[in-house]
Amino acid sequence: VRETMAIIVNGKLQPLPAPATLEVLLHALRPSYPFAVALNNEFLPVASYELCLLSDGDSIEIVNPSAGG
Amino acid sequence: MHDELVIYGEAYNSRVLIGTARYESPTHLVNAIRAADPALITVSLRRQVHENPISGESFWNILRYMGRPFLPNTAGCSTAKDAINTAMMAREVFATDLIKLEVIGDETNLQPDPFNLIEASEELVRRGFKVFPYCTDDLVLCKRLLDVGCEVLMPWAAPIGTGQGPRNPRALRELRERLPDVPLIVDAGLGLPSHACQVMEWGFDAVLINTAVSRSITPAVMAGAFADGVRAGRSGYLAGPMPVQELAVASTPEFGRPFSNEA
Repeated sequence: VRETMAIIVNGKLQPLPAPATLEVLLHALRPSYPFAVALNNEFLPVASYELCLLSDGDSIEIVNPSAGG
Repeated sequence: MHDELVIYGEAYNSRVLIGTARYESPTHLVNAIRAADPALITVSLRRQVHENPISGESFWNILRYMGRPFLPNTAGCSTAKDAINTAMMAREVFATDLIKLEVIGDETNLQPDPFNLIEASEELVRRGFKVFPYCTDDLVLCKRLLDVGCEVLMPWAAPIGTGQGPRNPRALRELRERLPDVPLIVDAGLGLPSHACQVMEWGFDAVLINTAVSRSITPAVMAGAFADGVRAGRSGYLAGPMPVQELAVASTPEFGRPFSNEA
């Protein structure tokens, strides 16, 4: 039986087969381009997605360009 | 006359910065940006909301289509740490070192937090950012922001989105007088083109407008009116206003007045 874990993506619970990297998660979610990511409130540069192993309970923020003043 | 706005070594032909928030439609946004002819357009980062037409991929396409440099903000942050991480994400998304640094200290009037603002500014400058700090008109705060490496300041005229115009003209004018060589952009609280004209007459270098345009009935017309106000104010400042007099001084020569007793 494959293990699953629960991570939080933009405030919502997201089940994910374990183990998984951030790249796997992003491949599944397909956020619109361009986007940036923070893991547990820390910015994560794009170059680190491939090696970033997610853990149960991790909190991910995925943000896109938006209107601002 | 050649009169460029220079910030962090970059020259701009316009002295208007315009925000992209609170427009009723993408068309209003595009037309307002065109009418304002801005040096920079402010943008932000948010979680994706599919129902919002002014976000995500469609918004990104509009921004690219406008072909203007971006000034991302850290709106909504209330700690230095959040502001720093938001700035890092913005740099990756918008491919710019420019950041309009907002660190809010009071949720009611959205007043900048001076302590976290300085802490975040210092760290972001260290990380290579060109920081545009949204600040109050407090002289000491402004001097500290310059001390940590900011090369431009964005003092408020009034709380964000109020349209009240300059609430504390004396403090703003003193700031201009005390920091004569620092680019000062009045940000937040302007509601009318005359407000923009007024602060430009006082010698401010540029204004940032958003809600005054986006919540007007006809944003494109209002954006153009602000651009006109900024140009008029700037020209008036450069022209050198006359000194204010306490008493009336006749503009028409007294000499030669008909029916006078002069010989």
